Amino acid sequence: MTVFRELINYRQMIVSLVKKDLRGRYKGSVLGFLWTFINPLLQLAVYSIVFSTIMRVVDTDKYYLFLFVALIPWIFFSSSVSGGAGSILANKDMVTKIYFPREVLPIAYVTSCFVNMLFCFIVIFAVLIISGTGINPVALLYLPVVMITEYVLALGITMITSSVTVFFRDLEHILGIVMMAWMYLTPIMYTPDMVPEQFRTLFELNPMCSIIVAYRDILYYKQTPDMTSVLCSAAIGIIMLAAGFIIFGRLKKRFAESL
Amino acid sequence: MIQNDIAISVRDVQKSFKLFYDRGYSLKEALLFSKRRRYERHQVLKGISFDVKRGEAVALIGHNGCGKSTMLKLLTRIMYPDSGTVTMNGRVSSLIELGAGFHPDMSGRENIYTNAAIFGLSRKEIDNRIQKIIDFSEIEEFIDNPVRTYSSGMYMRLAFSVAINVDADILLIDEILAVGDVTFQRKCFNRLKEIKAKGTTIVIVSHSLSMIEQICDRSIWIHEGVIKEEGRPKQVHMDYCDYMIQKQQDKDTSASAKAAGADKPTETPKPAEAPKPAETPKPQPDNKKRWGNHNAEITSVTVSDEKNEVRRVFRTGSDIVIHFDYTRSGQVPDAVFGIGIFNRDGVQCYGTNTRIDDIPAFSLKENASVRVLLKNVSLLPGEYLVDIAIESGDGIPVDYYREACSFEMASSVNDVGISRIEHQWTI
Repeated sequence: MTVFRELINYRQMIVSLVKKDLRGRYKGSVLGFLWTFINPLLQLAVYSIVFSTIMRVVDTDKYYLFLFVALIPWIFFSSSVSGGAGSILANKDMVTKIYFPREVLPIAYVTSCFVNMLFCFIVIFAVLIISGTGINPVALLYLPVVMITEYVLALGITMITSSVTVFFRDLEHILGIVMMAWMYLTPIMYTPDMVPEQFRTLFELNPMCSIIVAYRDILYYKQTPDMTSVLCSAAIGIIMLAAGFIIFGRLKKRFAESL
Repeated sequence: MIQNDIAISVRDVQKSFKLFYDRGYSLKEALLFSKRRRYERHQVLKGISFDVKRGEAVALIGHNGCGKSTMLKLLTRIMYPDSGTVTMNGRVSSLIELGAGFHPDMSGRENIYTNAAIFGLSRKEIDNRIQKIIDFSEIEEFIDNPVRTYSSGMYMRLAFSVAINVDADILLIDEILAVGDVTFQRKCFNRLKEIKAKGTTIVIVSHSLSMIEQICDRSIWIHEGVIKEEGRPKQVHMDYCDYMIQKQQDKDTSASAKAAGADKPTETPKPAEAPKPAETPKPQPDNKKRWGNHNAEITSVTVSDEKNEVRRVFRTGSDIVIHFDYTRSGQVPDAVFGIGIFNRDGVQCYGTNTRIDDIPAFSLKENASVRVLLKNVSLLPGEYLVDIAIESGDGIPVDYYREACSFEMASSVNDVGISRIEHQWTI
């Protein structure tokens, strides 16, 4: 419990780390903050060319949009988990030299990825309107719930990866592979009903599956998402977060010596 | 339960480190080469207990590697003890690593916010302090420039200003008062005194014993992982210095000893390695006001006027003669004589030695006396204590005699300060 009270006291540190990360990331580069959008847009371009003109997996109207509304949330998740794994290592100087609740670091990292995603959502909404797809305001009410669910899940996993990475540095690289596999096992470029029936249950155990489906329901199909499965993911997310805090709390005591 | 007036409570703390021969940090290595991960356990702290009262200033001293810095890291909660407990009551700020978390591309002002946030301050609290921090750092005009354009001095000044203006209940300091130029150092030092007067609990780790003596109420001497002695700084430091000299004696080290006997005695050089049994017989003076290897000894000290008439009180501006005799029992190559004059507050008013005065080093005679004529002593009224020292050329104290004699100054003029400065008014 003391951890949470302390984290509240250190909220300003989280805020300023997030700001520092967002501003520091692109400061001094020619395109500046536009990089926030360029990176996902390039990914989007590549994937939509490959999957809508070459491989033509999904037969749907505006495949780029179908992909876009799922890709942005996925990028948030994967960059949180794989990038956040190194968040303690990257702040070695601070960890070995001053005290603050170490949980601040992964929280700040995931939050800054989250804010990045929110910026990208501006582009998503712009594209939705320009392309004529439009927005369903009622369905949109579910969006914050889905986002928070994803945030909790990402934070829980990042807490674990960031603390374990201190002791096993190659975990960062292993995570790169894991996240790639995870991406292809999540219905980002295809729809879940393309998965063979016999694997369907197994497939849906993936908490990211229902989250991505919900994003797509809200934004692309403009319908209210299936909240039961989202709440299942939320439950998994909360369990991960609890596990994250426990594991992190155990390991953090040895951070300074191991860095 | 901890009493309310205890700020820091350390109970039987032990800490050891694993020294790996071949440390692997990857999962692959852990799985494949588990045998390689051999290590030696190095016990740094072997059961340390102490309390620090609210508002008290305590110093941790000891030779390099004795565990004092580890202790400080345990206090900051950067590390955690293997066993035992460390309890801190109140907000802790540390001057251990300055400028942690500074971002070079961000302006000084922005970095103040980031850095202060690391100490757990909220935005509102920082807003309230920002002007104070900027004023203290003396870089007002550059505060909106990116920190990477700062000189290292400016950088440290900014970092120090943030850390010291946090208004913590407990302040932990690790050998940092070497920030900026002399003026700024002085300012830091005064600020530290102010903070102490406000009732902040302070723990300092330092080799600068004279600084400790000015600020701290208590010194804790940590030796090989246990507390060897604690008490009034002067007392502990004298024992500590004695021990260090003992250790160094036989060692033909060219340690960069602080040259002059006139220097504060407490600035003894850093220790050498392994402790060595104290086989050298050492005349044990009745108090801890003398130390050295005693190859020569100061026997009598007198203070007199220029006509060699023994006196105690002098008028400001008159000449004073200090006279001492010594006898030599061992070898004292390249001897140096030094004197230091301190006022009642322990402030050194003047100090010099024969090396500073360019008198070539000489060999001591068996028995002889030395006379120092101090001309036009313009010290203001008060009592003054004189330290006299004989040192051997490589900086080893032979006989350091603290407060060897004293004299008083008197004057009918009511000017204030330490020493009179000849002056003239033009109005």
